[in-house]
Amino acid sequence: MMNLSRSVALISLFLLPFLSSSFSVDNPTDRRVLVLLDDLSLKSSHSTFFNTLKSRGFDLDFKSADDSKLALQRYGQYLYDGLIIFAPSTERFGGSLDSKSVADFVDSGRDLILSADTSASDLIRGIATECGVDFDEDSSAMVIDHSSFSVSDGDHTLIAADDLVKSDVILGKSKIEAPVLFRGVAHSLNPTNNLVLKVLSASPSAYSANPTSKLSSPPQLTGSAISLVSVMQARNNARVVISGSLQLFSDRLFRSGAQKSGSPDKYEKSGNEQFVTELSKWVFHERGHLKAGSLVHHRVGETDEPAIYRIKDDLEFSVEILEWSGKSWEPYVADDVQVQFYMMSPYVLKTLSTDKKGLFHTSFKVPDVYGVFQFKVEYEKLGYTTLSLSKQIPVRPYRHNEYERFIPTAYPYYGACFTTMAGFFVFSFVYLYHK
Amino acid sequence: MVKSTSKDAQDLFRSLHSAYSATPTNLKVIDLYVVFAVFTALIQVAYMALVGSFPFNSFLSGVLSCIGTAVLAVCLRIQVNKENKEFKDLAPERAFADFVLCNLVLHLVIINFLG
Repeated sequence: MMNLSRSVALISLFLLPFLSSSFSVDNPTDRRVLVLLDDLSLKSSHSTFFNTLKSRGFDLDFKSADDSKLALQRYGQYLYDGLIIFAPSTERFGGSLDSKSVADFVDSGRDLILSADTSASDLIRGIATECGVDFDEDSSAMVIDHSSFSVSDGDHTLIAADDLVKSDVILGKSKIEAPVLFRGVAHSLNPTNNLVLKVLSASPSAYSANPTSKLSSPPQLTGSAISLVSVMQARNNARVVISGSLQLFSDRLFRSGAQKSGSPDKYEKSGNEQFVTELSKWVFHERGHLKAGSLVHHRVGETDEPAIYRIKDDLEFSVEILEWSGKSWEPYVADDVQVQFYMMSPYVLKTLSTDKKGLFHTSFKVPDVYGVFQFKVEYEKLGYTTLSLSKQIPVRPYRHNEYERFIPTAYPYYGACFTTMAGFFVFSFVYLYHK
Repeated sequence: MVKSTSKDAQDLFRSLHSAYSATPTNLKVIDLYVVFAVFTALIQVAYMALVGSFPFNSFLSGVLSCIGTAVLAVCLRIQVNKENKEFKDLAPERAFADFVLCNLVLHLVIINFLG
């Protein structure tokens, strides 16, 4: 009996590396997601959202936000690839979780969906501020819009928003026709932060105030500066979605019909489910994730990469870029990838042409400057992972036997010298033998 | 006045022409060679004025070959001219041999400098 259990333990120890499945360089979609809830009834009231995630293959681990056994890492290894925090009123997380460990989680390249709501706690606000998003300081304020609210609502706090960012990567190819219903708090983005992006903005007539009390001073957050849902893609390509409303993800708003006030279009189903599903595909790296192979360069007519180029050489450059489709690596097709031949400033900047199979290539002439150059591909497209590739190569001037042998502009001088020599020869004959 | 100056010019030219036709033939051959060399040099200078002095060494080499050979031909003419008292003891063959040798060295130098 003891031998059997010992051998089983030994075998499972060998198999352990193969049994764990998480996101890796070859398979960037997240697999294991920790869902923190402050109220376990959210499991049923938001069941459609969770079920769509499960049907796409995610392992959801539901835990209460103050569970004392909460941990994101064990022995230096992260246990989860993604984190969903639907706990807007939690003051303190249980276990070893706090805002710093959540920030470290994102720093390690893992993804986060954070949702605040009315009465968002300081902890949640703090995590949002780390990601570059500032919620309204007034904790009782909600987004109110007197001209863009959903007709079914009474007090104009259920917003019907349709100001979505124009990005097929983030929101999917098919347009979201119905307005997205939102009830919650407003947040704004720091304009100097170039990593955050507004996905769902409020209309110009929206403002953030307490709906039950009279306004004593003009509201601070107004109009399109209010963001309802924002995303952030960090420099290590971790993706964060921050939403001001937990009800945005709920079954009730998924199923509800939507009609924006002042608009005659009545939709049977709001755009919430499509919006949330497409956004979750983007944030968990099922879409818009690029991978580049190494940069390949060689002289025209050769296949090996030389160690040094000469000025005015003709060279060919290519790079392979693949896009993750959720299940496999597909060739990336775009017409705006550029390469720079760079030494302190780009001497050559060319747009690469694609053969539609993922290979981007171009050819150009090395400039008439010598030094140490770099091939640089810096690709930052909205919603896609940033590609930052470079390869160094030196460029030398002509060797002294590589110059042209005869200079065309000097042909008259060559001719004159030889003519004079011929003239001298003829003259000496004539001088000697004339009569 | 005008008529007289033009008549004077014509007379001057005619007297020069008749004096020159009295010179021996070998001197006239040397004169023709000098004119040819200087003419070639002038063409090269005009070309350089047009296109600029890019391969300056080629330009200098071309001009030097023409001017150098013209100067050597003038020296030959001085030494060979029978009316010249200074060189009456110098054999004209010796003068011609000097001319040929100097020209050979000159052309060696300009081919080297031509690039």
